Amino acid sequence: MAEAFFAYPELRNPFEDTPIHPEGSTTVLYQGKKITLDETGEGDDLLIRSEDLPAVNGFELKPEGACFADLCIPIKDDLLVEQNGRQWFNLTAFANLLDQQYVADIESRVWSFAEIPAKRENMMVNAMAPDFEIEDRQGNVIRMADFKGKKALIVTWSSW
Amino acid sequence: MPVWQQVYEEVNDPNFVIICVAEDTGGEAVAGPIFDAANPSYIQIIDQDHMISSIFNFVNVPSAAWIDEDGRIVRIDEGTYSKVHEMGDGDQSITFGNDVYSPAIKDWVAKGADSEHVQSAETVTGNIRQHTDDQLKADAAFRLGNLFRNHGKAAKADHYWNMAKELNPDSINFIRQNLTLSEEGSAGETFMNLMGQYMAEGKEFYRPLDIE
Repeated sequence: MAEAFFAYPELRNPFEDTPIHPEGSTTVLYQGKKITLDETGEGDDLLIRSEDLPAVNGFELKPEGACFADLCIPIKDDLLVEQNGRQWFNLTAFANLLDQQYVADIESRVWSFAEIPAKRENMMVNAMAPDFEIEDRQGNVIRMADFKGKKALIVTWSSW
Repeated sequence: MPVWQQVYEEVNDPNFVIICVAEDTGGEAVAGPIFDAANPSYIQIIDQDHMISSIFNFVNVPSAAWIDEDGRIVRIDEGTYSKVHEMGDGDQSITFGNDVYSPAIKDWVAKGADSEHVQSAETVTGNIRQHTDDQLKADAAFRLGNLFRNHGKAAKADHYWNMAKELNPDSINFIRQNLTLSEEGSAGETFMNLMGQYMAEGKEFYRPLDIE
């Protein structure tokens, strides 16, 4: 076990300088996914096309509001923004409404979102495991829901 | 990792899965060979964004969640060791780990809800760390830094990793992952000093293990 504690000098900064996304695009990080948006509005708020919402955070615009499963958030006027003759969905205002934390590097057009607290409530209150999606080493998508009917041990470790 | 393969083989129950997650921004290059050496048949994930730790509010490795057939967490956030380890020398040496955890897992798989190691929802929710808005934001900052590092932008990567460490100073994961980039590595003087400070402040790396 001891050898695993040492750093890997040759791997300290192994990555080449490459563009994060094509010129003019925007990147959103959420739940381990990296979503590249070709079109967004201008300014310090993240304004996205309504049709990009499901890909970005799983919510969908419906007559009753922005919905994820049973959770529907009524859309207030300030969430829909007119700019250059087009309507945009203000994703950062939506995050603020949901108490969802985020960090943005506006210069690089990257927004990184933390988990939405309302989606964690079933774990924090009822001890129900939250669903997640992550790829295994073979490239299979692993979802918590896949293990219904089985006992699962999720264990973390690290090389460091 | 061999220990989990051993547990998996000994239990040998088609209704039991082990999902083993490496929290390693270095990815396959650093975690892959360690997995391979264990010759594992369980599910192996290399979680470069530390997403699993973030989902369960873990601040250190190794940690774990036991999840039953209905998706209920029945134990969470304990140091998942299979034996007692010693780290460092002389005055600075520390011992950690235990040899009761893996037998408890086997008992749970065999007996299910009747196992004495299954905890109530109330106990489990009491053991899930309550993360503040800042701590949740730290996860977002860490991932942002990670994206920049993966694209060779070290200055921005360092900026957001530092932000993550400041927003969640309890995260041993962030501190040690960051130290892997330093000359002294993740278990050098800086880490040993931090660990001493952490313990002096009465902070817990994990929830207390109440298995006899």
